[in-house]
Amino acid sequence: MSSMVQLSESSKAGSARGPQGPAALLAGLLRELLERGAVAAVLAPKPTPAGTTVTQVLIADPEQLDGIDPLAPVQMVNAAHILRELAREPLEQKIAAVLRPCEVRATIELAKLKQVSLDSVVLISHDCPGVHDLNVYLDAVAGSGAEAVRERRLAELLGEGEAGGGKKSAGGAALRNACRQCMHFTGDSADLSLAWIGAGESGALLEVHTDKGRELLGRGAEAPAPAGRAESLERIRAQRLAAQGEEPEELLTVLERCIRCYNCREVCPICYCKECLMKPEKMGYSPERYLRRAQKKGLIKMPVDTVLYHLTRMNHMASSCVACGLCEQACPMDIPLGSIFARVGRNVQALFDYVPGRSLEEELPVTTFKEDELPGVEDAKR
Amino acid sequence: MPEQAFEPKIIAFLCNWCTYAGADLAGTGRIQYPTNIRIIRIMCSGSLDPTYVLKVLLEGADGVLIGGCHPGDCHYISGNLKARRRLAILKSVLKDAGLEPERVWLRWISASEGAYFAQTVTDFVDHVRKLGANPLRMEWAV
Repeated sequence: MSSMVQLSESSKAGSARGPQGPAALLAGLLRELLERGAVAAVLAPKPTPAGTTVTQVLIADPEQLDGIDPLAPVQMVNAAHILRELAREPLEQKIAAVLRPCEVRATIELAKLKQVSLDSVVLISHDCPGVHDLNVYLDAVAGSGAEAVRERRLAELLGEGEAGGGKKSAGGAALRNACRQCMHFTGDSADLSLAWIGAGESGALLEVHTDKGRELLGRGAEAPAPAGRAESLERIRAQRLAAQGEEPEELLTVLERCIRCYNCREVCPICYCKECLMKPEKMGYSPERYLRRAQKKGLIKMPVDTVLYHLTRMNHMASSCVACGLCEQACPMDIPLGSIFARVGRNVQALFDYVPGRSLEEELPVTTFKEDELPGVEDAKR
Repeated sequence: MPEQAFEPKIIAFLCNWCTYAGADLAGTGRIQYPTNIRIIRIMCSGSLDPTYVLKVLLEGADGVLIGGCHPGDCHYISGNLKARRRLAILKSVLKDAGLEPERVWLRWISASEGAYFAQTVTDFVDHVRKLGANPLRMEWAV
């Protein structure tokens, strides 16, 4: 059962309001954890030296926590991908990972897939404002500067409504398709998360979700949930639900653009196999076979199997897809993979009443079964 | 050249322990069933990666039949029930892709059910005949 905690004044390194508020609060908390040795390092997003974008950094020196930017409206990688390296096996000391909610959920899926050890990682999250795809973000920053882009994103989230995929709202840049449809934008699956949406005058509160989080924090006066929070979250969710209802493009038509570069697989936090079944050499293709296939249909698209590749990937990972949308950002051919995988994932997950990353205890749908379920899949009339 | 009558081409993935043996029994019992089916023996319905079903459909097969043991009878205890989950995912993905999940059937057929195997193949061929040829058969961009 989660509870809300007011962060003590000492960890408030700035005003809790204004666009930098939540980030400064998190920086204060992390500084304290690092200084008292509760964690040995912090994984968090920080602006790059040139300031054009924001990248993941592993911070060991508390001084370097100044200026971390976990709420930046841009995401270069799904940080769960980084934890696959960083937390492949347990460390002797603990690491605090400051993650977006989709990154927390991907990390939990990876822990179930035995690709990440959570023994030495504390997951810290926050209400995510959503992100722009990198190109959109870079254009917007070149036009008006990072600070203005961030402020506009927060203003859209909290008031004006969200810009459509590919379309730009009045002055705003388009939000990533996956983010426009995202219903799980609060950090409920993490050990600790900063709740700032709808926090109003009281400022952001830290939500403690697990015993691990409670142990790490070791203090804090319980506070009631801010009055306006539930309403604000509900309003955003209603917008997102409406975006989910938009008519998708014909899948086979958009996949015609695929050049099988495998970028979507490479950036996918869930696709972890060291050796992918979809490599042509794994499929046992010889030059002779291409020729035979061409002779059968008269002609075949080269490279081959672009549709087979995507449909196979969907079958393999849709039940764990956290709809982070990184696949769409990585696609050089502008295939709207983020919304495609989000929709396919939602429908697959609904079969098993499964939400990826909701809980470490829930078993992966493909590793378990019920004796009496899924009527209609095997539906012989006898 | 006159248009030939449509004869469905069906690929069947049958589990070694139950359905394949059921097919064998149909054969030794001289039970007649349509010849539209090409059987591939697999060790367990649970060992079938959906990619093989997809590949067969994208290459133009008109139907795919997957045969496994009845629940509780699986040689590997629960492979068939895991196969059912995978098939449920596959059918959901096919539907979202605008393809036809009804071209894929999963059936439990035991080693003693030769007659039921023959009947299932007959029913499936009728069913696929009604669906018509797989539109992907001549689709070259997949």
